[in-house]
Amino acid sequence: MTRWTQMATVVGALGVAAALAFVEPQRFWANWLVWFLFVLTIGLGALFLVALEHLVAAQWSVPVRRCAERVSSLILPVVPIALIALLSLPTLFHKWTGAEAAHHPVVASKAVWLNVPFFAARLLLCLAAWLAGYRVLVSGSRRQDATSDPRFNVRARRFAPAFMALFAISITIVAFDWISSLDPEWYSDIFGVYVFAGTFLAGLSATALAVASLKQRGRLPEVNEHHLYNLGGLLFAFTVFWSYIGFAQYLLIWYADLPEEVVWYKLRIQGDWGAVALLLALIHFLVPFFALITGDAKSGLGRLRRVAALMLFAHLLDLYWLVFPSLGHGVLASWPELAFALMFVGGGLLWLGRAFGRGPDMPIGDPFLAQALEFRR
Amino acid sequence: MSERAFAVVGLFDSPDALLRAVAPIRAASLGRVEAYTPYPVHGLATSLGLKRSPVGGMVLVMALLGAATALGFQWWVAAVDYPITTGGKAFFSWEAFVPVMFEVMVAFATFTAGLAMLLLLNRLPFFGHPMLGSSVMAAVTRDRLALAIEKDGDVELDATNARAALEAAGAQSIEVVALPAPSQPASARTLGWMLGGIAAACLTSGFLTYWVVKLFPVLPPMVHMLQQPRINPQSQNGFFADGRTQRLPVAGTVARGYLPYAVANADEADRLVNPLPRSAEVLARGRRAYSTFCSVCHGPLATGVGTLSSAYGAKPANLQSQTFRDYSDGHIYDVIMRGKNAMPSYAEDLSEDERWAVIHYLRALQRAQNAKQEDLR
Repeated sequence: MTRWTQMATVVGALGVAAALAFVEPQRFWANWLVWFLFVLTIGLGALFLVALEHLVAAQWSVPVRRCAERVSSLILPVVPIALIALLSLPTLFHKWTGAEAAHHPVVASKAVWLNVPFFAARLLLCLAAWLAGYRVLVSGSRRQDATSDPRFNVRARRFAPAFMALFAISITIVAFDWISSLDPEWYSDIFGVYVFAGTFLAGLSATALAVASLKQRGRLPEVNEHHLYNLGGLLFAFTVFWSYIGFAQYLLIWYADLPEEVVWYKLRIQGDWGAVALLLALIHFLVPFFALITGDAKSGLGRLRRVAALMLFAHLLDLYWLVFPSLGHGVLASWPELAFALMFVGGGLLWLGRAFGRGPDMPIGDPFLAQALEFRR
Repeated sequence: MSERAFAVVGLFDSPDALLRAVAPIRAASLGRVEAYTPYPVHGLATSLGLKRSPVGGMVLVMALLGAATALGFQWWVAAVDYPITTGGKAFFSWEAFVPVMFEVMVAFATFTAGLAMLLLLNRLPFFGHPMLGSSVMAAVTRDRLALAIEKDGDVELDATNARAALEAAGAQSIEVVALPAPSQPASARTLGWMLGGIAAACLTSGFLTYWVVKLFPVLPPMVHMLQQPRINPQSQNGFFADGRTQRLPVAGTVARGYLPYAVANADEADRLVNPLPRSAEVLARGRRAYSTFCSVCHGPLATGVGTLSSAYGAKPANLQSQTFRDYSDGHIYDVIMRGKNAMPSYAEDLSEDERWAVIHYLRALQRAQNAKQEDLR
């Protein structure tokens, strides 16, 4: 399994190198951006889940928290990926980095925010905030395995609210800077919330998928259907949340019908992209909604695993649908996209495989673990 | 035991003791086994053998029905029965219907959940559950847990055996709840008074509302359509610099359906033929346009005496005079288009069809004022 993943990653990396040489730079960087955002949102979503559990002092989730912590370690490889993504600014974001920006009144008026030095500074600050969150919440939890020091729980609970604030600001910055500024004339206040919904869903799906996969391999035997039920319930709730926010944004823009706003949707729901939008509504909302609606479905291992995997794919499709139409092409899905998928999925699996191979599968030093294993819904 | 029993109740002081007792009591099958606890006890529902609640399924079906009802209703109102263009949107704009669909879906779902639980599953309404009067309930609302063997349908409860079974199962104290005397069905007379009273109350309040609204028109219940901030033709309007309500088209533009006038002079206009039939519908339309735009000057009878005549410097033409009765339809059309003397052009205010309809109506006015003997037959 690992050998195959390694081979796929190497093949993907070669393909990505070929894409850099042969494919138009806009398309290369659009791919890079989608995968940067995909890896980031999974890691950051999982870190948000960990912080949320500390914030509300959740006890049921202690046995599955380690899985979320391990998924959130994707934040670390995000740092180089994000720094490389800065190279995409002149090509992919030429609408505000290029010379023509000065002649566009709307874009020129946004120059205070949309300029390269400030953009890069914001990215660095966000990365710093996420790494700090990772260090306090995840590294601290891992240290607790050895020390069993309950002071970690207190510290994490105190830190979580601050991290929530940082998270809310930084995810909005990611949404506005890296996605919405592809079309700098366009604006939507709720867009940050939309990206947040996708982010949390991605982190949650990856966590649920990890828990289910571990259980199917015979690890985490203490995690029972009541824990799975809660994971499934959160997944169910947040598919609805994502759809609610996504539709609310669409409804207002559709209703107001302002030219500078509707053009964003015009690109995304007409022609080939319309089919992608429909597919998104189907697999990001309708299928998971009805797949998870019954109580049994939420706690069923196989069902939860399949839905979580589907949600990850749907989230990837969502990012693809947000980024690619800005290039002004139809649906692009060919060897460069495949190469990027191979490299990032393979690389991500190798990274997570390593993370899941080290240390105990549950935070064994957490004083609430024993109680959490008794959790009944 | 002389009096008939509704239930024999055993009290327990821990959930575990209660759970242990359930299986042997159910196995004894002396009656319906029911538990009363001050807080939810995990595992009790399963050990009591409660069937899965059908409420979830009912709610799903009714929620979908609610969404479909709202969609169908809005479609019928907005696209079939009373189609009005709003904001340039299509009559059937499903996007605009979604919020109402969502609300109606929630309304159907919550009412179904509440009513199904109360009426179907809890068999309400009834006046006073027999258990409520017993001293057992006082203990249960504090900290005790009760297991009851209740009378099942028409089968008499064997209180002696039930007491023995509960004792054997470890109940700390046991109480027999007597079967309440069967309540008397309401007499036809009582029912008649009740229904009559309800009908009288409905009629009284209905008539009162009607007459209050009728006699005191200063208190109209809803005046939103009657009193709206609307500007009428011919009225003054401070919003525009020239104070006119009727706007001229922006210079250099042609409004849809208002083609530029292609006829060179009045002689050429003489050859135009009124294309509209002299139907009641056309005359009604002509009358409406005439009353709006023509009658203020030319007067309701086209005699040149309108409401503006006295205040207005120039003397409006008496359209009943022989000169104007001899005008061809085309000539009048030409005057409407170009204006004459102090009269401005009405080309921008009346559509093609309205102009010809006004001419038909004017002919009717002229003929009515100069009626011949044979017209009366």
